[in-house]
Amino acid sequence: MLTMQGGGETPVVLAGRLDATQAVAAQAYLDRFQGVVTLDCGDLQYLSSAGLGVFLKTHKRLLGSGGRLRLTAVNRHLQDIFSYSGFDQILEIEPGR
Amino acid sequence: MSERASFARRIDVLAEIFAFTTAAFARQGVPDALRADVDFVLEELFTNIVKYSRGEAPVTIEIAAIADGVEVTLTEPEADRFDVTQAPPVDISLPAVQRQPGGLGLHLIARLVDSVQYGYSEGERCSRVVFRKTNAARPEAAGRDEDERC
Repeated sequence: MLTMQGGGETPVVLAGRLDATQAVAAQAYLDRFQGVVTLDCGDLQYLSSAGLGVFLKTHKRLLGSGGRLRLTAVNRHLQDIFSYSGFDQILEIEPGR
Repeated sequence: MSERASFARRIDVLAEIFAFTTAAFARQGVPDALRADVDFVLEELFTNIVKYSRGEAPVTIEIAAIADGVEVTLTEPEADRFDVTQAPPVDISLPAVQRQPGGLGLHLIARLVDSVQYGYSEGERCSRVVFRKTNAARPEAAGRDEDERC
């Protein structure tokens, strides 16, 4: 289960699990925003490679118009995924506690 | 102690798989901190089967507690040989504009768990992936078994 709230003037708050069954909905939600988009990942418990694909596609789209994707409050599991995939070199990532 | 369950080959079954790992970890006393990485590997392996395999028989997952961790076995009947430990290398140093979604799953599996072994039975047309995840430091381990039996 994944919930998404906010965006625009406020961070997009992701909560739950971003797996292959949630990737299409997550992509559709993030496609609504432009500029610098901040994802609050404090309650994002799980991310699969399908979720990585959503983040990459969103980041590339935003880069094309001068924006970018940034992630905050990233937990250890997500940090490992980003590190092993090299996404920590292409996304602005702020670790959580 | 170990426990196993079988799952139909549909993406929406992922929720059932995650419920199974959650319950099995709790029943067997496997540290919950290991579950996200185990779920990640199972999701990659299972979705690959759903997307690319021609078989229809259910996929079986077995979970067994080991010292300070867990051993997971995923068995796919009616399978063609596809060694998940022999995935082509992925260049993770490319800039964002040159990166493509996909292709990272198998690359990540080998890094998230302590060991991965692949076996295939020609006679039974059965694939089996066994991986271990513990709280220990991760060695760079991946291997393959020949002449597996399912």
